[in-house]
Amino acid sequence: MGKTTGFKEFSRAVEPYRPAKERVLDFKEIYTDHDDEKLAVQGARCMDCGVPFCQSGEGCPVYNLIPEWNDLVYQNKWEEAFDKLMLTNNFPEVTGRVCPAVCEGACVLGITESPVAIKNLEFAIADKGFQNGWLKPQIPQNRTGKSVAIVGSGPAGLSAAQQLNSVGHKVKVYERADRIGGLMMYGIPNMKLDKSIIDQRLEIMEMEGIEFYTNADVGGKGENSVSVKELDESNDIVLMTTGATNPRDLPIPQREGVGVYFAMDFLRKNTKSLLDSEHDDGNFISAKDKNVIVIGGGDTGTDCIGTSLRHGCKSLINFEIMPEPPKERADNNPWPLFPRVYKVDYGHEESKEIYGDDPRVYSISGKEFLRNEDGTLRGIKTIEVDKNFQEIPGTEKEWEADLILLAMGFLGPEEYSVNSLDIELDERSNYKAEHNVHQTSNPKVFAAGDCRRGQSLVVWAINEGRAAAREIDRHLMGSTTLK
Amino acid sequence: MVETGEAREVHHHCLLFGYGADAVNPYLAFEAIFQSLEDGTLKDVTLENNEQIVSAYKKGTKKGILKVMAKMGISTLHSYKGAQIFEAVGLSTEIIDKSFPGTASRVGGISFEALFDEQKRRHDLGYPEETINVTTLPNPGDFHWRNGGDAHMWDPKTISSLQLAARTNDEDAYWSFAKHANEVSTKQSSLRGLLKFKSILDPISIDEVESEKEIVKRFATGAMSLGSISTESHESLAIAMNKLGGKSNTGEGGEDPIRFTPDKSGISKRSAIKQVASGRFGVTMRYLTNSDELQIKISQGAKPGEGGELPGKKVDEYIAKIRHSTPGVGLISPPPHHDIYSIEDIAQLIHDLKNANRTSRISVKLVSEVGVGTIASGVVKAKTDHLVIAGHDGGTGASPLTSIKHAGLPWELGVAETHQTLVMNNLRSRVVLQTDGQIKTGRDVAIAALLGAEEFGFATAPLVTLGCIMMRKCHLNTCPVGIATQDKELRKKFKGKPEHVVNYLFMVAKDLRMIMAEMGFKTVTEMIGRVDCLETDIAIDHWKRNGLDFSGILQPAEKIFENTEVYNTQSQDHGLDKALDNVLIDKCKKAIARGEKTAFDCNINNINRTVGTMLSNEVAKVWETNNLSEDTIEINFNGSAGQSFAAWLVKGITFRLEGDANDYVGKGLSGGKLIIYPPKNSKFKAEENILLGNVALYGATEGEAYFRGIAAERFCVRNSGATVVVEGIGDHGCEYMTGGKAVILGTTGRNFGAGMSGGIAYIFDEEGDFKKKCNKETFELEPLLEEDLSDLKGLILKHKNYTESTVADNILKNWENASKKFVKVMPTDYKRVLNEMKIKQQSNG
Repeated sequence: MGKTTGFKEFSRAVEPYRPAKERVLDFKEIYTDHDDEKLAVQGARCMDCGVPFCQSGEGCPVYNLIPEWNDLVYQNKWEEAFDKLMLTNNFPEVTGRVCPAVCEGACVLGITESPVAIKNLEFAIADKGFQNGWLKPQIPQNRTGKSVAIVGSGPAGLSAAQQLNSVGHKVKVYERADRIGGLMMYGIPNMKLDKSIIDQRLEIMEMEGIEFYTNADVGGKGENSVSVKELDESNDIVLMTTGATNPRDLPIPQREGVGVYFAMDFLRKNTKSLLDSEHDDGNFISAKDKNVIVIGGGDTGTDCIGTSLRHGCKSLINFEIMPEPPKERADNNPWPLFPRVYKVDYGHEESKEIYGDDPRVYSISGKEFLRNEDGTLRGIKTIEVDKNFQEIPGTEKEWEADLILLAMGFLGPEEYSVNSLDIELDERSNYKAEHNVHQTSNPKVFAAGDCRRGQSLVVWAINEGRAAAREIDRHLMGSTTLK
Repeated sequence: MVETGEAREVHHHCLLFGYGADAVNPYLAFEAIFQSLEDGTLKDVTLENNEQIVSAYKKGTKKGILKVMAKMGISTLHSYKGAQIFEAVGLSTEIIDKSFPGTASRVGGISFEALFDEQKRRHDLGYPEETINVTTLPNPGDFHWRNGGDAHMWDPKTISSLQLAARTNDEDAYWSFAKHANEVSTKQSSLRGLLKFKSILDPISIDEVESEKEIVKRFATGAMSLGSISTESHESLAIAMNKLGGKSNTGEGGEDPIRFTPDKSGISKRSAIKQVASGRFGVTMRYLTNSDELQIKISQGAKPGEGGELPGKKVDEYIAKIRHSTPGVGLISPPPHHDIYSIEDIAQLIHDLKNANRTSRISVKLVSEVGVGTIASGVVKAKTDHLVIAGHDGGTGASPLTSIKHAGLPWELGVAETHQTLVMNNLRSRVVLQTDGQIKTGRDVAIAALLGAEEFGFATAPLVTLGCIMMRKCHLNTCPVGIATQDKELRKKFKGKPEHVVNYLFMVAKDLRMIMAEMGFKTVTEMIGRVDCLETDIAIDHWKRNGLDFSGILQPAEKIFENTEVYNTQSQDHGLDKALDNVLIDKCKKAIARGEKTAFDCNINNINRTVGTMLSNEVAKVWETNNLSEDTIEINFNGSAGQSFAAWLVKGITFRLEGDANDYVGKGLSGGKLIIYPPKNSKFKAEENILLGNVALYGATEGEAYFRGIAAERFCVRNSGATVVVEGIGDHGCEYMTGGKAVILGTTGRNFGAGMSGGIAYIFDEEGDFKKKCNKETFELEPLLEEDLSDLKGLILKHKNYTESTVADNILKNWENASKKFVKVMPTDYKRVLNEMKIKQQSNG
């Protein structure tokens, strides 16, 4: 256990990002190098709780063995820490970078102090695993002869693939995009998750025997389409991990036309162009010299802010319909729940550094897009709303903008892949299956991740992918050793 | 000789020896540590090779086994070996008959197949069928909760939902807590989890069920001492229970007298239950007087056979003051009460305490174990008003690991047996039966009542409502939420409020009422002992469930006598009307009321037990905060005093006895003065004869005593403030002493001063052999300094004046030579603290 009195002696310290003014000039990762000594101090702060909420259902969704590896980092035993981390989390190199750290919200030290910097520890352990070659392909020596087709290569699909392959099933992963990784590839921008990290992981997974098919649009109509029926017939199980990619729209007047885009289109094109040509091909929506408004205050909104700044936008505003969150937990948001409090993410910090102000405007709702006579976008009319989202009369305001990005969340899986598989949907239009069961109304089809639970975190996708793999293995073999 | 890969913990070795092994080779335990050494994972140890590992492991295990043997009251391995002092819970008769014949096993349980299955599961972890390399094994969550590991009564969900419910008085959160507790944690880890209610009566409207306000009066909080928990949490529990009309418990650490009276706003921090445990910390007459219940703790459910243990780090100045001990010195309560070695002794202590406070009910706390029904019957015959049967799954995060896992038994077994035995002997109506041990929800309370309990103790759950998150760091003083710590900085982090406890317990009461309505009970009283309303829940699907048989505990109590009542209907006859004190109090009326000097003679006989205690209680009731002046009441007794003469005698009272006295003279002495000498016309040499019995001045906190003769064994044990002069003592003198002075003008017996951590003893070591007789683990023998000599001389002079001692006279006459023969017994820690205080005073002055 860390150090008995470590939590009394040391304060929380998180690894700094690169200076804001410097990092907005490129799409390289925002992180700085790991400092082992400082991380060990955070490990020392861990109290080795009798009931470690960080690794419980109230905390980390994949039940990372946090107290164990906190202690191992404190003791400078990184390789063992890496082994422990790999027991529960398929992609710590991803969650270490992008997870909002539910674990830290549930950290017992957070009741009276600030939590242990758990996410930084995970990040560093994962990086060391890659750098030192501790991560080795786990090639199963016996094959079961069973095969599973996985549709969608996001974190749910890939974690399920890894788990199922590890117990000897043949796994084929189908991805409609040109690169594997789903949201990890094209959703999260490069400065938050360098795509070479994904490539490294995929290389290992290929060595383990997992097959990947890109540009394979299962159930689609275009030239890259793959027949659902064929997939169903040629595999023992089909696992749907297609994500919740159907974006929420803003159906207000003058929505149609140039200048208003969904965040995912903006981010995807940006990353693709970056990877294909370092943006030389120009195949992306550029925010350069534009007045940009991002609607939606979640992580995707922040990524739009960060990306726009890197393009060199002229001004930047971020709308959020919710009121500004409190600085400290509200009464209805007690520990160990995830704290809904005011935070400054990387994009906000960068924006403030460059323009002097935090870009966020709260309790505001769009009324009408404003367009010039030629149809080009000139701005948006808004109105303030109260905490029940009721409009407050007399608070209308016009904002100038020539690029508006909609980052307002997602509504479930896109319709098309489901059609011929005969899967029931739930009331929120997600694939209907119980958590930790994952079988849909079609017994041969399982579902996991955002397409089942609705939009959520990468770490929940990993939880779902692992759970679905476990249940599929149980279904195929009668029992399972997967966790 | 057993060669086994299984044995690794202390308990495993104990079990093997207990069933007859002569030697054990735990080869896998050794190999595991060898591997740790190789991997460099052995922390904070300086072991260099495998031989050292074996030797260290042997040493540690040996200490653990000794501790377990001590708990069972066995001193030699020879006696422990093959003694089979175990009870099995959850093993089938097939296994018991074949492998552990004669071992008590009351609920049946798993078969050899299930044992095999369990072994296989464990084996598969290390040698899975898949070919993936095993890099690391899962943490089974034995002591600390782990996801997917062993079930624990408190898991993240129970803790967080209970805290939410208690803080916001949110019923929905309570139901979510209760549902999870009942259906998951309790079901997975307790006997009651495997029972269910059986409808015998028709349901009634909830309006017909007795009110929540009435129900909560049956609730008490657990005995957690001030010291083990912080002032803030201890007081919050007291305030909550006083608001509620239930009872809080001091635990065994005494109580600050300032809490005896409510504050200006009427808030009372007084604990209704005052515990009297083996350490007798802070058990003064004032403490006893300010109680509604006096609880004799015989044993603790979570760690039977062990006393309280407070590490030195948690004994700050305030705690030490209340406990009359030395700051910074750890306090280990002795496993037994030094005044209880038999059922008669318990009867005597009950009688003493009843004399100390006639309005308090006397309670005896026992633990669930096989045969507890018989013990309970004895204790009820010894006139206890109240009984607690404590279960094993209760708290104390500071319990030794061996005890957490392997000591104690479920209260379900204990309550059922106690109720059945008491009813069978027609004793049940004379006593109130309480149980505790992880009672959390209305369901738990209902089951306890149906098995026979009428009151219910809660300890961990109220602490959780106050912020406890089951850190299991109670012994380290690092509780981060300010509960189980005395660290000033950490105590500031305490966020609990009495309302949280109140909210929670009212919700439990409501929960219980709903169950009662469903089952058709209007009052809790009607439920007591209704085991016909319980049955085994056969629907529970668990691979280890098969074979459990609850018919023993679900057996209705047999009524052999006519008109046997099955719950408390009558009070015990303590025979107080016969007490000599009635006469004394009458004669001392003016002294008690106005402090007028009163002196008289009185004959005494050994049927007069506990003389002076009731009188002291009367004085303490009137003189709440100040004292009578010295010698306000002087009584000159003549004769042979019975047991517990002058127990808890208060300041201002002087007892002079010409004659002799029985056991427990001056027990708990609370400021009074006590002078005993043989009849003046006797011809024998007083200094060569025994004047008083065993255990004199046990737990004395203040006062003076002069004995012209020899005291028997266990003299001044746990003295924490009295100044005493005696002319010789038996074995085990001044054991666990933490304060006061003992002057011994003659020889001592063996094992003098074991565990003594405070106070000073001066021994007149005429023969020069004292050194051999003492147990010097905690103190040093020193020559006397100038100031010691003048202090000592004054005491001897007083002794001479009070008792006409010729021994004292001779010493004083030859002071120059005689004073050189005195040895000073100075506890090391006490000396350190005195020095620190001196330095502090100097720097302040």
